[in-house]
Amino acid sequence: MSWNCKISEERLSEYLDGMLSPSDAATFAAHAGGCADCSRLVARVGGLVGQLHKLEQLEEPPQLIQNILDATIGPRIQEEGWKKWFSWAPLLWQPRFVMGVVTVAATLAIVIHSSGITPAKIKRADFNPVSLYRSANRQVHLTYARSVKFVNDLRVVYEIQSRLQPEPSPASQPLPEPQPQQPSGTPQQKSEKDPPRDRSHMRSGSMFAVLLPANSPGSLIATLTRSAQ
Amino acid sequence: MEPDAQLVQQCLRGEGPAWEELVRRHTRRVYNLCYRFTGNATDAQDLSQEVFLRIYRTLPSYRPAFGAFPTWLTSVTRNLLVDHYRRTRHDRVTDSIDDAMPVLEEKHSKARTPDRLAEAAELSVQLQRALARLSPELREAVILRDLQGLEYNEIQGVLAVPEGTVKSRINRGRIELARILEEMGVRPS
Repeated sequence: MSWNCKISEERLSEYLDGMLSPSDAATFAAHAGGCADCSRLVARVGGLVGQLHKLEQLEEPPQLIQNILDATIGPRIQEEGWKKWFSWAPLLWQPRFVMGVVTVAATLAIVIHSSGITPAKIKRADFNPVSLYRSANRQVHLTYARSVKFVNDLRVVYEIQSRLQPEPSPASQPLPEPQPQQPSGTPQQKSEKDPPRDRSHMRSGSMFAVLLPANSPGSLIATLTRSAQ
Repeated sequence: MEPDAQLVQQCLRGEGPAWEELVRRHTRRVYNLCYRFTGNATDAQDLSQEVFLRIYRTLPSYRPAFGAFPTWLTSVTRNLLVDHYRRTRHDRVTDSIDDAMPVLEEKHSKARTPDRLAEAAELSVQLQRALARLSPELREAVILRDLQGLEYNEIQGVLAVPEGTVKSRINRGRIELARILEEMGVRPS
């Protein structure tokens, strides 16, 4: 069979891929060497094949594998084990949450400081329920007493008190004549003898009695109670 | 036993990680075949997903005696590509692929200089355009041979055509592709 350009073109790829027998390959090369058209074709297609082989594979889109797995074996749990339990952790670093935490911490610090608790002096025994109850009870009473004292110490309160109840001076007011023979005294007369502070003391309840001594001159509550009578 | 065959056996025993490994090993190959054939990244993704879905469903029918797993995988991919081509033939007014060319070509070795990178990306784009102008029979033959690196007998298995047809299609495809590139003004290096 005489080798011609048509045969060269038909068997070009076999030649390039090394699939021709040695004798056919030699004949091919000899023909191409003497034929400008065939030689150009070999160079052109040979160059193309070289380029194609050098072409790198494209990377698949990152989500493709995940999509395939989702479509075949269904969506799976992304994180397993302990990581799953801490999947919310990144949320803690959101500015909104951090600001909230800082605000709450500052508020707590102010409350603790103002209520007189010193964290450095806390002992283990202080967490005993009895101790907790006692200290809480004490703290409540102290706070109440302080606030009452604060109110009573206000100048305006003192002024009102003194207007409502002018303090009787013992010198200007003579003591009533003793009337030993008065068996039929009216209840009204009897009540006049009782010191008014004692009555207010009894009506105000035991707590006020404890907090506000009856002989306190600046007792607003006692005064108000009296004036209401 | 080959790793693929082993993984297939594990998949058939219901081992999820084996299937995941199989998918990871072959996704790139399938995606590239689809992308080079369609010239469209979205179609390539959809088709790749379809390929693996079909593989997953028909895995019990696969026998290593029929051929290597990659050949079977390529064969399934090729059949779906042909189906896709026929399905979308009416949608294509022209075979223009210019609009569909994505900027996915930049994924190359990082050791390259930017110039070489740009050159390679440009060549890849031009080759893709030229491929799109080939008839589907010649296109698939050239892709399987020169981009997927299959041997002639493997291509014969995938395309289910005689050896002579495979040789002829590869040869005609290459010559035609070189002519198109020359028309486009791309010189072989």
